[in-house]
Amino acid sequence: MVEYAKYVDVTKCDGCRACMVSCKNWNDLPAEPQDFLGSNQSHAKVTANTWNVLSFIEHENSKGNLEYLFRHSACFHCKEAACVKVCPEEALHYTDFGTVVINDEKCVGCGYCVQNCPFDVVSLATYKDKHGKEYKKAQKCTMCTDRLEEGMQPACVTVCHTGAMEFGEKDKMIQKAEKRLAEIKGKFPNANIYNPAGVGGTHAIYVLAEKPSVYGLPENPKVPTSAVIWKDYAQPIGKMMLGATTMAVIGAYISNKIFYKEDHGHDENGGGSNE
Amino acid sequence: MVEINLNRRQFLKLSGATAATLAIVELGFNEKEAYASSKEFKIAKSTVTPTICCYCGVGCGILVHTKDNAVVYTEGDPDHPVNEGKLCSKGTTIRQLYTTEKRLTKPLYRAPGSSKWEEKEWDWMYDRIAKRVKETRDASFVDKEDGIIVNKTERIASLGGAALDNEETYLLSKMMRGLGIVYLEHQARI
Repeated sequence: MVEYAKYVDVTKCDGCRACMVSCKNWNDLPAEPQDFLGSNQSHAKVTANTWNVLSFIEHENSKGNLEYLFRHSACFHCKEAACVKVCPEEALHYTDFGTVVINDEKCVGCGYCVQNCPFDVVSLATYKDKHGKEYKKAQKCTMCTDRLEEGMQPACVTVCHTGAMEFGEKDKMIQKAEKRLAEIKGKFPNANIYNPAGVGGTHAIYVLAEKPSVYGLPENPKVPTSAVIWKDYAQPIGKMMLGATTMAVIGAYISNKIFYKEDHGHDENGGGSNE
Repeated sequence: MVEINLNRRQFLKLSGATAATLAIVELGFNEKEAYASSKEFKIAKSTVTPTICCYCGVGCGILVHTKDNAVVYTEGDPDHPVNEGKLCSKGTTIRQLYTTEKRLTKPLYRAPGSSKWEEKEWDWMYDRIAKRVKETRDASFVDKEDGIIVNKTERIASLGGAALDNEETYLLSKMMRGLGIVYLEHQARI
């Protein structure tokens, strides 16, 4: 199946925050009242109930003037996602569209995905069951995969009135990004396309006006080495060893039984299958 | 013909086993399908009604999705020439007009000098408004000014809202002008 991607051109964004609200509206997420943080940005970062946040970065440009840099920040839907790698329950998985989603029924709320996400976009939400007992589940942007399945666009893309966001085939979105980059290079010499190779590329492709670090993004995000070692090496070896141990125990038991029988005959085995 | 000899106990056992097998077959073993059917698409069976955003004067088109007499979702109307499916952050929240517990469902009346709001019926309200409009109009009506017929009152003003459509604003301004009101304003200009 064709890979899809969300294209975000931050230079067209006017910071209206409709993407934030439309996300809440579609996904029925509760509001998170927030005190003033000292800038125009409403929330510090994405949370379990706020899947995308519009960041307002106060940046001093090369001429010494203040520049407001806006960025629609949400899950990047990495092609080789750290969260999918570390999830012990296989609750996090890839869809046919290339998006990364959490299966609520499988998630046990262990929080490995939260710790390992290079972009810090996964969070745990706390819920209460009918007996009042608390339990946790990881939550993040789904790229509106339920809408994609019905042939609709993600809610944030639908609402964007400046056309800063688009959703479509990944190749076309990359072409679009390259075309746009050539257009804005004069005005923003540091402009770049953010589609980091360290996570196999992302399904949210950004045209940034400044270096990724200015936007608080890692320059070269990677799946943590510890996660790779753990999942690709330690766990298979562990499973193999568990299997070997189990086989050894069973083998020992059977051989022990046989020898035991041979030694003691029918004396202590009365009432069993021999009769 | 095949003759089956069953005693009561065997018959019960057999029918129980058949029922259990059928029940399991009915459920199916396709985990994915079972998961998909447990989560129905949010707006799959909703009724869609177009409306106009009530907030500013731009007049964006909105589609309201309702199900079982509740608003389940709202979004910009892609066929509307004003906004072509887009909406601002405020217009996107319009579902809360209906779902909020702060929503007024009955007219509230505060008597002159009172500090309390009381719930009143619409009929009572209409009568009251009509009476007060007539009183004010009769007391302040000017038929002539500097020898010219003006037939106006300057003690009443009308404030229209952005949610009014073309036909409603026409009727409203026609009624207001009929009463002799000259101060016609619109909420989006203030």
